[in-house]
Amino acid sequence: MKLDAQIPSGPIEKKWDSHKFNTKLVNPNNKRKFDILVVGTGLAGASAAASLGELGYNVKVFCLQDTPRRAHSIAAQGGINAAKNYPNDGDSVWRLFHDTIKGGDYRAREANVYRLAQISNQIIDHCAAIGVPFGREYGGLLSTRSFGGAQVSRTFYTRGQTGQQLLLGAYSAMMRQAAAGTVKIYPRREMADIVISNGRARGITVRNLVTGELENYSGHAVLLCTGGYANVFYLSTNAALCNVSAAWAAYKKGAGLANPCFTQIHPTCIPRSGEHQSKLTLMSESLRNDGRIWVPKTKGDKRHANEIPEGERDYFLERRYPAFGNLVPRDIASRASKAMIDEGRGVGPTGLSVYLDFRDSIKRKGEDKIREEYGNLFDMYHQITDENGYKVPMRIYPASHYTMGGLWVDYNLMTTVPGLFALGEANFSDHGANRLGASALMQGLADGFFVIPATIGGYLGGSKFEPVNATAAEFKAGESAVKNKLNKLLAIKGKKTPTEFHRQLGNVMWNDCGMGRTETTLKKALKKIPEIREEFWTNLALPGTSMEMNQTLEKAFKVADFLEFSELLVKDALERKESCGAHFREESVTPEGEARRDDANFSHAAVWEYKGEGKEPALNKEPLVFENIKIAERNYK
Amino acid sequence: MNNSKHFNVTIRVWRQSGPDEQGRMVPYEVKDISPDMSFLEMIDVLNENLIKKNEQPITVESDCREGICGCCGLVVNGEVHGPDEHSTVCQLHMRRFKDGDIITVEPWRVRSFPIIKDLAVDRSALDRIIQAGGYISVNTGAAPDANSIPVNKDNAEEAMDSAACIGCGACVAACPNGAAMLFTGAKISQLALLPQGEPEKQTRALNMVAAMDCEKFGNCSNEYECEAVCPKDIKVSNIARMNREFMLANLFSKH
Amino acid sequence: MNITFIRRLISASIGRKVLMAVSGLALGLFMLVHLAENLLLFKGEMAYNDWVDFLLSNPLTPFFEVGLLGIFIIHIVMGVWVRVEDFINAPRGYEARKWQGGRTIGSATQLYTAAAILAYLTYHMLTFRFVNHDMGFYQMVTSAFRNNFFVAIYVGGALAVVLHLSHGMQSAFQTLGVSHPKYTPFIKLGGWLVALTMMGFAFISVYYLFGLDLGAAAVEMTVVQ
Repeated sequence: MKLDAQIPSGPIEKKWDSHKFNTKLVNPNNKRKFDILVVGTGLAGASAAASLGELGYNVKVFCLQDTPRRAHSIAAQGGINAAKNYPNDGDSVWRLFHDTIKGGDYRAREANVYRLAQISNQIIDHCAAIGVPFGREYGGLLSTRSFGGAQVSRTFYTRGQTGQQLLLGAYSAMMRQAAAGTVKIYPRREMADIVISNGRARGITVRNLVTGELENYSGHAVLLCTGGYANVFYLSTNAALCNVSAAWAAYKKGAGLANPCFTQIHPTCIPRSGEHQSKLTLMSESLRNDGRIWVPKTKGDKRHANEIPEGERDYFLERRYPAFGNLVPRDIASRASKAMIDEGRGVGPTGLSVYLDFRDSIKRKGEDKIREEYGNLFDMYHQITDENGYKVPMRIYPASHYTMGGLWVDYNLMTTVPGLFALGEANFSDHGANRLGASALMQGLADGFFVIPATIGGYLGGSKFEPVNATAAEFKAGESAVKNKLNKLLAIKGKKTPTEFHRQLGNVMWNDCGMGRTETTLKKALKKIPEIREEFWTNLALPGTSMEMNQTLEKAFKVADFLEFSELLVKDALERKESCGAHFREESVTPEGEARRDDANFSHAAVWEYKGEGKEPALNKEPLVFENIKIAERNYK
Repeated sequence: MNNSKHFNVTIRVWRQSGPDEQGRMVPYEVKDISPDMSFLEMIDVLNENLIKKNEQPITVESDCREGICGCCGLVVNGEVHGPDEHSTVCQLHMRRFKDGDIITVEPWRVRSFPIIKDLAVDRSALDRIIQAGGYISVNTGAAPDANSIPVNKDNAEEAMDSAACIGCGACVAACPNGAAMLFTGAKISQLALLPQGEPEKQTRALNMVAAMDCEKFGNCSNEYECEAVCPKDIKVSNIARMNREFMLANLFSKH
Repeated sequence: MNITFIRRLISASIGRKVLMAVSGLALGLFMLVHLAENLLLFKGEMAYNDWVDFLLSNPLTPFFEVGLLGIFIIHIVMGVWVRVEDFINAPRGYEARKWQGGRTIGSATQLYTAAAILAYLTYHMLTFRFVNHDMGFYQMVTSAFRNNFFVAIYVGGALAVVLHLSHGMQSAFQTLGVSHPKYTPFIKLGGWLVALTMMGFAFISVYYLFGLDLGAAAVEMTVVQ
């Protein structure tokens, strides 16, 4: 596998501009002759469809929900970063670039991250112009808030629903193009396969989720904007429909999959209440500004939280990280909580949570002030747990939240398969080994609104396309492969439901490849996953047929892919013998027990290459070169 | 875990195998329910049992399960999105029910939202309303600096109140007339309140109302059931603003 | 000539509603004026008949009557049209359905109170408008109000109007887009007050039914003596 990142030459500040200038353009009259297939309608997909439609390309958009507006970007709460420096606190493109690289623990590509920081400002301009109701000051100008991992206030927001408002903005821009006829929307379609013709991505096969029919669409480029794979852990903050299937199909068709082991765990989620739990709900990180995190000093202390005297409480984050205290980055807070729980000091009925206590700040600021700042989060907590966070400490537990890994892409966002692009969370992205808060929205929109419209012309304008239509042999072959897979699933007639297999896989992934990973646990996982997979293919219960709306079949289809993908994730984690960002190998720690990076051996993106059914995947490496940033150890003590 | 609080309920669910099939209410017993379960997790448990018996599980749509994606939508015991005020049905928990309860579960029953299967309906009509004008026509890359257009903070906040709509269709399901006025009004209001939306607010109001009528939604009788059930607490003042925008556009625009 | 904007008034859902609201408000205003006229009954036969004579001799009155009829027809036609559409589009088939807080008795019974008012008006026209007025209007009205059956219909009609307007008044303002967090509560209150004022019609008829005017006259005579 050849990994040419296509990074433009020249100083980092000039790379993007000179790249845009050097990239081939497509004549305006020719644009409508190019069909572009966009899979997924989250921030990346919707914005890409909108901006490509505006340019005059002929865009077809596919999503598996009933309407494109439901994509999971909608659930992002906190905000979107931009280097506007409106608060005059010393922010700049350079600083955002620097913070993102550092936050990602030096595992991201410099040129991409710099471009992201440059584009961040344009995103805010554009989103304000298309009617996103950003929070404002009394003077009418935009307001910002602070977020983790930065010392400046650069996060723009729309209350606690920034993802929703940005997604609806991108969705509305796309609907405008739908009205103009440049974009055609196909909802309730799940991508089942990618069609390669003459070595290039030329189409997709989708399953119509209402009729069950397989449909083929041909085009000149395929854009995967299909999000992340956090649901590989079964319980995550992701929506139920989030999956890895599209990325996995791309991988099997030759696209390199990079750094799958970089999975982010968010510290402040509402803990699970039992086996029936279907998803975990995130509460904004901002709670850690006023809440103090603690567990009892003694193991198995079953007293009510309010009966445990001050002297018997262990405020472990404040104890271990006196400088940052409760505000250490996500990965560090999550791991510290896990360590307490592993020691048997977890609280709550399951013992799988720690306290987030507002007693002291309520005493200091008053309950009204706390209610004003976090009221909606307390309400949400009450709705789910039936507990009053003002009177009893909240209970929190880390949950799988975001995946930095994904399809490897070059500077043009193209995967190793020509014509196949990956945008947003689906690509291995600009976040390195750990994503900072409020950066996911920025990246999704940067890719869709600004990067792909500039780079796709280089591919389309620079190559000759032989005609391919949806009835070509390649499509027929792909279609029958999908059909076989569906029939195979339906023919098993076993006893266990897809959800049970998913839950089983999730347990393995969470326990053996979750917040802390060791060679032993990873090897254990590598043994268990194929066992689950084998049972899945022999004992799956799946009623109904493929020619109807069949949600169990949809679920089984996704779980089947998770069962294959998870193994690659674990292999990647095993291969990366360092701790960096969200990837914590318990063997690679400093004497104080903190994560230790190994730049000498692992300053690269690990790109996995599919070698065929039953064969070991090959590992390729894209070395990371840092010319503009001085590498240092992350220290939050 | 303490299982003593677990209880049993019977749910009567609308089952309909396809868009053109005859549907009916079917009772199911669901045993050993934890009060901490969400309502949809209770249906998950039931579905798991049905799958194991090789019976078709109940088709019910949900995605984010935290009340923001707008995917879920059920009428529970005659109440749109269930008994909790201003929340979606995915946020409803079983502690609202007690042992032995018989719970009626139905889909949105609106002419413009045809049933696809069981509890899943087709709400694409709402997309077509947005497509008619629920946007600001600015091309990517053409925008001026975000701070070049100040927006009155009160207006920005009010626009955000309107923009909070999740497009679940509860307002239509609850309306005595099956009207989509609250949905359409919220989008027209959001964009009319912002200076960015000003230039095309007349055509937007005319076109979106026309699209709404074209989709065979009902008329507004100003009874405000929509406001009462809206999970995002969107106010009927949005409908008033839409009416105003529409009439002004009809009287004073060149169209 | 571009008549789209007129067509839109009738063809668009909101256009029809606006026509209903405007005509409804006009009718409400007429009712208030009509009530004020009726209060002249209390001023005595002379005052009342003089006013009626003035109206009848006024050359504008026929135009006004035709206009009023037109407004009525618009209100009724639009109302029926909207209701028929709503009937077609209404969600149906809910096994269980609970109203969750918006609907009121007034709003739920709009169509029924409308029908009652129409029936009452027809009766009102047949008994007061299209009859021989030789005995003088004051005599005609007050003697009719001494009839139990007549007053029962009158009170029933007034109640229907009250119920109709309890929803209709605020609804008209909402339809016309008059909505503001500060003023809407006053509009709703005002709507109710106007609605309740319509009980004045019932009061007048009951006043004569129970012979309260005779009592008053008797008191007056006593004072004079």
